[in-house]
Amino acid sequence: MKTASGTDLWLMRSVRRVRMPRSLGVIMLGGVLVWSAPGSRGHAGHEVFPVPETSGAQFEQPPPGREFYFTRAVYSDFGGRRMGAWSTDFPKADRQFLIGLKHLTNIDAYEAENPVRLDDPKLKRYPFLYALEVGYMSLTDAEVRGLREYLLAGGFLVVDDFWGSLEWSNFETQIERVFPEYPIVDIGLDHPLLSTFYVVRDLLQVPNVWLGRSGGRTWERDGYTPAMRGIFDERGRLMVVINWNTDLGDAWEWAEDPWYPIKFSNFAYQMGVNMILYGMSH
Amino acid sequence: MNAVLESIFAFLFKYRMVVFEKGDLTVGSPWPVAIVAVGVAAATMLVLAYLRLPATLRRRDRVVLTVLRLGVVGVLLIVLLRPMLVVATVVPQENFLAILVDDSRSMRIADLDGRKRGDVSQELLSPGERGLVDRLAERFKLRFFAFAGSTERVDGIEQLQFTGSATHLAQALERVRRELDPVPLAGVVLLSDGADNSETAVTETLLRLKAEGLPVYAVGLGRERFPKDIALGRVETPRTVLEGSSLVVELHIANTGFGGVRVTVQVESEGRIVSSQEIELPRSGQIATIPIQFPASEPGPRVFRFHVPPQLGELVAENNTREALIVVRRERQKILYFEGEPRFELKFVRRAVADDPNLQVVALLRTAENKFWRGDVDDAEELAAGFPKTREELFAYRGLIIGSVEASFFTPDQLRMISEFVSQRGGGLLMLGGRKAFTEGGYAGTAIADVLPVLLDGSMGEGESPVVEVRIQPTPVGSSHPATQVASSIDESTARWTELPALTTVNVVRSVKPGATTLLTGAAEGGDQFIVLASQRYGRGKALAFPVQDSWLWQMDMPLDDTTHETFWQQLLRWLVSGVPDPVDVVAARDRAAVGSAVPVTAVVADSAYLEVNGAEVTATITTPAGTEVTNRMEWNVETDGTYQMSLGVKERGLYKMRVEARRGPTLLGENHGYVHAAEPVDEFFDAELHPDLLQRLATETGGRYYTPSTVSGLPEDVQYTESGTTVREEMDLWDMPIIFLMLVVLVGTEWGYRRFQGLV
Repeated sequence: MKTASGTDLWLMRSVRRVRMPRSLGVIMLGGVLVWSAPGSRGHAGHEVFPVPETSGAQFEQPPPGREFYFTRAVYSDFGGRRMGAWSTDFPKADRQFLIGLKHLTNIDAYEAENPVRLDDPKLKRYPFLYALEVGYMSLTDAEVRGLREYLLAGGFLVVDDFWGSLEWSNFETQIERVFPEYPIVDIGLDHPLLSTFYVVRDLLQVPNVWLGRSGGRTWERDGYTPAMRGIFDERGRLMVVINWNTDLGDAWEWAEDPWYPIKFSNFAYQMGVNMILYGMSH
Repeated sequence: MNAVLESIFAFLFKYRMVVFEKGDLTVGSPWPVAIVAVGVAAATMLVLAYLRLPATLRRRDRVVLTVLRLGVVGVLLIVLLRPMLVVATVVPQENFLAILVDDSRSMRIADLDGRKRGDVSQELLSPGERGLVDRLAERFKLRFFAFAGSTERVDGIEQLQFTGSATHLAQALERVRRELDPVPLAGVVLLSDGADNSETAVTETLLRLKAEGLPVYAVGLGRERFPKDIALGRVETPRTVLEGSSLVVELHIANTGFGGVRVTVQVESEGRIVSSQEIELPRSGQIATIPIQFPASEPGPRVFRFHVPPQLGELVAENNTREALIVVRRERQKILYFEGEPRFELKFVRRAVADDPNLQVVALLRTAENKFWRGDVDDAEELAAGFPKTREELFAYRGLIIGSVEASFFTPDQLRMISEFVSQRGGGLLMLGGRKAFTEGGYAGTAIADVLPVLLDGSMGEGESPVVEVRIQPTPVGSSHPATQVASSIDESTARWTELPALTTVNVVRSVKPGATTLLTGAAEGGDQFIVLASQRYGRGKALAFPVQDSWLWQMDMPLDDTTHETFWQQLLRWLVSGVPDPVDVVAARDRAAVGSAVPVTAVVADSAYLEVNGAEVTATITTPAGTEVTNRMEWNVETDGTYQMSLGVKERGLYKMRVEARRGPTLLGENHGYVHAAEPVDEFFDAELHPDLLQRLATETGGRYYTPSTVSGLPEDVQYTESGTTVREEMDLWDMPIIFLMLVVLVGTEWGYRRFQGLV
């Protein structure tokens, strides 16, 4: 979860109007967002997770034998090893979502978080991967290679919680390094993913906790319309689901909050369950 | 006995051995008692006389001289008794003698000092001064017969062509016996290599010949063992296989003189080499079973030809080739994969077989209590109510995979239904490992436990076992089993298994049932062994157990270009559904038949619940190689439920196609195809060495004799001493045998020599 300051909102809008070259946009985004990134300022509304170094960070491996581990992608961002954009909402969102997931389905899921670096060979032991705040992503070559091999081997990546055109542009740049050959395409509402467990007929824009509690606007920066996009391999198999201009993670994290509208949490859980079951069956 | 020994015997004993064998020994003297009495008296006096000799004679000399003298008296006594043999001999020209000559292709083998067996038999039987035939003709009326697959009367030996495609010895003897039954038959002279390849045992014929006292004089032609030969004994192939499968068949290969030599086995289909594999031949004289891997890529009935190029010095090249008819099917085989909880195994199995046009894995995934997700169903109705509740619904699938789903999910009837899916429907069942599978899933003591090839420990009770990491390795059987071929050759496949990442299991499965086959095992850290893949036949179908839970690691944890995971699942599931019967199943007794033969064809007809249907109308439309269509009605076999039969007459070379259709009233129960490949039979060149055992048995048990070309000259004399036909009894003196006089000379000479030597003269 993050807050949007007046400065970076202004910057986003400026970028949108000027339509600067993508590379320049990424540089500026990197420079400005180092200041505004969630890892550098702590996380509003809950305890700040200590930021591990993304490169060389070691996480405790969960016990083996479970069918599902909610695995969070640990990636490098513009802050190098300091920002920890990957850890937004971590680990409460993960744990709270897992409680719901186990309650709603009969999946044998490991109850706790499981952060894994993209360049860690163990990543391939967890064929489901969740990444968020990818607007700040700045992958190393090893991470690009690791993520590419992971997805081509059969891994499934769900991307969440990044907003507006500038963050999109950064993510697009990063994912193009991973898959230069596969385009990002819209996933229509008729896609089987949206009916794997729950039948989702419309995409809701899920706001962050502050906007959700306020009951006002749901968008951040210039991310007015939620979108669900994907990357398919040459056989038409979905490898990456991109949830843009929406924050499913906050809705999982604050599902118990009486001030956070339940319709957003409901929708977020439905999407989460659908994406996981789709990723485990297709 | 060889010819030299036989000649020595005849010289010493005056007559040939056969006379002693056939004759009864008697004494010819009119006063045998008196002669014996005189002999005993003479012996007694002799002993007393030696006892009274001067005491200067040593005791040893006394004994030796007494024994030698007694020997002389004994021999003289035998002579005086006038021993003789009474033997039955044929009355000249009053009896018939059948001469039965092998006319099969194996007689063309040139293994008699470079001469063909057939040439030697013709030479033996050619008319000529003091030849076999002439000598036999002096006493018998001769009748010639040629036999191979059938037996024909011939006027002379020159009519033999040695082109017969089979050797049916028992039938030939039976035919001769019956044809010459009305006349006095002294015996049968049989010239053959004894390489009988009929399905009829000679035992019954032998008993009849013995009962009638009809002797068989067998002349064995050929070598008992070829000095150098490679023979493909037989090849075991499945009847049908899915298109694109990698087949592993077992080739039985024998050799003499090529032990340890490396040769190439080629597999050809439609004139194209589809596989070539170098193998090392077993030790000379041993038969080895060698797995041969090759792809079945072209759909339709295919004749696969297995061939080892003839090696230098081989006498018989025809036995280096075997053919097998395999129907390569292009059709999607439906397999139901029921998974009790979301697992990545489901995703990766589906992905592994997604590109296989012959497999359709219909997925049923229980995502929550009473909530299911379905994948790859044909229509909205399929599995709409969850796991099938009727046999018709379940039996529509050819294979069933049960993942991590507890036994208590199924009703007792569903458990029975799954058991019958294997035993009655003939489907393939595969249980995967998981926290709700095997013993941990509560299957011990259920109907499914009976079907599984592994033993479930009922004492453990339901619940979770610890996670154990196991490294997989194939068993010797698994190395060459079609279900576990993960590379293009058996050696590569065996090596690949050791490179794969370790998997985990939560199921404690350590032993298989008697009769089950373990294909893969897993070694845990510390050396504990687990069963990883096992199979067994159960009723009409087969069951497999794969008690590991994350084979998807072979996909995720291997290099991107590695296709082991896909290959493994495609091979495993193809094998799972191979040979699964259809409602109408057509089986020809032989898929390769000789032109002119008849092949029994059986159709097994069942309904949608795979219960045998009697009284159906079953028709077979036969398309001959020339394209002519004939429709035959198949007759119900009252002895077996659901079985219908007909005989397919094979009249021309090529492929006979049969489309069998079964109806009950207006309802079509099903249809299926069967094939018979009509070709030149090659049985004559397999196991084609001389089989003296069979010929000797025929001869000795019927009172005849066994000969080789070098001893056959005694046959005309031997044949006359028979009880069969019109005979007279002849007395043959033995007192004047050279051996008698030789013994007298030796005894007297020895006594004289002893005396001289000892200074007693």
